[in-house]
Amino acid sequence: MTEIYPSLAQCAVVAAAFKILLFPAYKSTDFEVHRNWLAITNSLPLWEWYYEKTSEWTLDYPPLFAYFEWIMSQVAKLVDPAMVRVRNLEYASWETVYFQRFSVIVTELVLVYALQMLIDSSPRGASKRAAQVAAISILLSPGLLIIDHIHFQYNGCMYGILIASLVLARKRATLLSSGLVFAALLCMKHIYLYLAPAYFVFLLRTYCLSPRSIFQIQVLNCLKLGGGIAAIFGLAFGPFAVQGQMPQILSRLFPFSRGLCHAYWAPNVWAIYSFLDRVLIVLAPRAGLAVRADALQSVTRGLVGDTAFAVLPDIAPRVCFALTVLFQTIPLVKLFAQPTWDNFIGAVTLCGYASFLFGWHVHEKAILLVIIPFSLIALKDRRHLSAFRPLAVAGHVSLFPLLFTPSEFPVKTAYTIFWLILFLMAFDQLAPASGRPRFFLFDRFSTLYISVSIPLILYCSLVHGVVFGKSYEFLPLMFTSSYSAIGVVGSWVGFMVVYFTS
Amino acid sequence: MAGPSVHKPRRKVQKREGGHTAHDRDANIRRPAFPLAAILWPARGFASQWEILPLILMAAGLFRWAAGLWGYSGFEKPPMFGDYEAQRHWMELTTHLPISQWYFHDLPWWGLDYPPLTAYHSWLCGKIGSLIDPAWFALYTSRGIHDPNLKIFMRATVIVSEYLVFIPAAVVFVRRFSRLSGVANWTASVALVAILMQPATILVDHVHFQYNTVMLGFVLATMSSMLAGRYLWSAVYFVAALGFKQMALYYAFPVFAFLLGSCLFPRVNLARLTGIAIATVAAFTILLLPLIIGTISDVKAGISPEPLLDGDNDLRSPPPPLLNGTALSAYLDPSASYYPIVEQLAQLVHRIFPFARGLFEDKVANFWCALNLVYKLRAFPPALLQRGALLATLAATLPPSLVIFARPDKLLLPLAFATTAWGFFLFSYQVHEKSVLLPLMPMTLLLAGRGGVMARETRAWVGFANLLGCWTIFPLLARVELRVPYAVLTLLWAYLLGLPPTSVSAYFDREDGVDGLGWRGWATAFVHGGFYLFMGFWHVLEMFVKPPAEKPDLWVVMNVGVGAVGFGICYLWCLGRLVGESGILGGGGGVDVVKKRQ
Repeated sequence: MTEIYPSLAQCAVVAAAFKILLFPAYKSTDFEVHRNWLAITNSLPLWEWYYEKTSEWTLDYPPLFAYFEWIMSQVAKLVDPAMVRVRNLEYASWETVYFQRFSVIVTELVLVYALQMLIDSSPRGASKRAAQVAAISILLSPGLLIIDHIHFQYNGCMYGILIASLVLARKRATLLSSGLVFAALLCMKHIYLYLAPAYFVFLLRTYCLSPRSIFQIQVLNCLKLGGGIAAIFGLAFGPFAVQGQMPQILSRLFPFSRGLCHAYWAPNVWAIYSFLDRVLIVLAPRAGLAVRADALQSVTRGLVGDTAFAVLPDIAPRVCFALTVLFQTIPLVKLFAQPTWDNFIGAVTLCGYASFLFGWHVHEKAILLVIIPFSLIALKDRRHLSAFRPLAVAGHVSLFPLLFTPSEFPVKTAYTIFWLILFLMAFDQLAPASGRPRFFLFDRFSTLYISVSIPLILYCSLVHGVVFGKSYEFLPLMFTSSYSAIGVVGSWVGFMVVYFTS
Repeated sequence: MAGPSVHKPRRKVQKREGGHTAHDRDANIRRPAFPLAAILWPARGFASQWEILPLILMAAGLFRWAAGLWGYSGFEKPPMFGDYEAQRHWMELTTHLPISQWYFHDLPWWGLDYPPLTAYHSWLCGKIGSLIDPAWFALYTSRGIHDPNLKIFMRATVIVSEYLVFIPAAVVFVRRFSRLSGVANWTASVALVAILMQPATILVDHVHFQYNTVMLGFVLATMSSMLAGRYLWSAVYFVAALGFKQMALYYAFPVFAFLLGSCLFPRVNLARLTGIAIATVAAFTILLLPLIIGTISDVKAGISPEPLLDGDNDLRSPPPPLLNGTALSAYLDPSASYYPIVEQLAQLVHRIFPFARGLFEDKVANFWCALNLVYKLRAFPPALLQRGALLATLAATLPPSLVIFARPDKLLLPLAFATTAWGFFLFSYQVHEKSVLLPLMPMTLLLAGRGGVMARETRAWVGFANLLGCWTIFPLLARVELRVPYAVLTLLWAYLLGLPPTSVSAYFDREDGVDGLGWRGWATAFVHGGFYLFMGFWHVLEMFVKPPAEKPDLWVVMNVGVGAVGFGICYLWCLGRLVGESGILGGGGGVDVVKKRQ
């Protein structure tokens, strides 16, 4: 078997055709955000990029992404000069839409290239097949389709860089480039900081310390890695640092004034916590608990801002931070002891999990931080797969509220169901049996869990509207995120066990 | 024969003598010859193709829905808007007016001119839509409405109608036809995807907006019933197709010829003939019954079919021309009790068959339009042109019908349907450019047969006809800014099947058991290559060069002329293959195999 069909390129062509057909679909404010950034980077001098605030959508990504926007704006101004004017708020001529939508598809080629690297780096035979299927599943991911090609963002390109970096970590010879690519990624989008601890531990152990003894430091490697990272950060932030703009940039990158939960609750432990609080509002009078009256209105309104709990104690950012660090450290201990590539990917996944589940103001889109690294090892054996399954369902279902317009409803549901059937079936055929016994009842739980999603989607999209009309709008959102949260937490617990026992 | 209720074991014809080689050859393919085969490659080992069927249907549905996000015909184009408004308006009038007024109501504004099944379908869609938002179909006030939610509803009705009629019919047809032709299940799945992703159908129905797939689906069901030997059902389905859209008449000759032939050969079967006749009459009666009963009850209730519109006398529609001063009218008494029904049916016929219009309406890639470029046909009297069109159509469509009559071989059905439909499209009267869907549908079905999608020649020709067909409806799409979905869907299909402009594998790939290209291969590649080059060149012209001021339609005219020549070649290819496969000119052909099976 020389080649495996279908090839990644063939799938990419068909997917691109579908994505172009989605050009007229709903686009969120992120479309205007990115148009505004094109305008800022194109028409203003560097020094004003992080101070400009004509639009409420100020530049809040790190500088490399701003440079990336600047490069794109050079083409954009040829397509439609009005697109790159800062004052043209909410500008969306058809040229603008075509250009921006098309730029997402083109920059996604980075992802295609990285996935091809993944396939090429896998040993021949069954594991190459598995890598190919996993690569296609990432390429066709409903998450990327919903977030990038409808809602509008550039995650495909970013995750392509992440995957390239993860693949480079597979060989000793390319460890340095892996670290440098990741550093560059951090300078494009700082959300990947959540995964940085795993990189730190892995590179420290495999690159900076001797493979024979952890007490032997490889000084030259340390210098190369440290120097390289410093150079990349210097390139990105240097010009701004020279002008003394670092505090301004940092305040843009890390806006701590936001609340615990995002507008829609991301499916993490805080969603479960909020759900419990809502339930307790009803139960508290009977149990004799005090209910804070001022908090009654806030959670259900789902606005960005402070989240107040009516019965349960409020959560401070420190608590989130401590829990995140704690649950990131646990898998890192094992990674430090056994720095294999599989363990590295597992640790990256678990870092993603910890930050998603316990983080402050987590966005539901951040679930890709978990799903995409996990996809790389989901096919390792059946135990990995059974932990992946509820995540695949929950993670993608939790993205549904991002698109609320009726014409996108069939796209998001049919596409996600299509993807789930196709890849859960394909994964099921490809994943080899594990040497260790399965969890007790875990598979049953996940089958039950997956089947619950069907009535849930039906209720949220159809039944609720018919029964309640426009009232109680928070109910479907709350059900979706609580349901998804159970799946994400369940798969996290499952994967923790798999990670530590394999 | 007591009708279709007699149970026939479905898998009776599972003799494998003819099928073995094909099965084995398909199973032994080393590598996929074109991307669609590669994409379905992992499904080759599956015991049952039903496992991937839901995925295929979902993917086809997703592409349809996504294509539907684009604009529709007549979007924000007052005063008349377009096909979308016509269909919406029929939902408006059928849900609000008494049934006897449907075919009389305000004819200048998209008066109903499709047969009754379309009217009933509109009524159903209109009733459902009015539950969601009555303003969409409010009488008079909703004209030209372009509420985005209405668009979603209308798109949904097209998809749901297609998934209730065309898709099941296509799935069943492909299954039966490939079994009968001894084609492997996996190959049949490849063919099914190619058929469902046909760009012309998606562009006309789901983008430009119409319900052709319902009619085409009934025709597919007709053919599928013929394959299964359920002749009575095939008659019923064909009446349904005619009752939905009169265009199904393009297929009337082969349906009639095949059904008659199957009653006469190999031995005369009068019971079957009678059964078919009764089923046809019964189906027509059921089709017209709501209209007739409605008319009677409206007359009793004192409702006139020709009401005054807003009290304005001038808008009263004239009596049906068939009853106005013709020989027929002398025998009819307008005060008789049967008169309203006759009047209703006469109006129906008048609306459905507009004999009064010209030879061709717009610029269509058929013979007359192309001939008109060379020689101005307006110089001739219309009556002569009508007669000429009739003779030419008969000359083009009778040969395939005679072949299928003399050799009622099930495997020949798609070819016979395609050839006849090409004949009608090229030579008949009052052809619309969207009618190219009618010959394309059966021709594309060839992919599911023996020497189908895996054979170079079939893939090349079916692909050529489809891409040429899309190209001739491009001017229609370009008028409402639908260039992008046109390019995407057409190029995607070409890519999937390995056709130009994305690949030349359908012409030059090595094929098992065939040495080199042969003169046919070279001739095909040469002819098709010329057309593809021209199409590409034409697109560049259309995109970047303005036509000369005195000839603003020059590009469209070129499109029409070249399209007609290409379709003529497709007609000849279908006819040649039909005659060849029927073995009517001496060769063995496939008939014997089928006779043995029967």
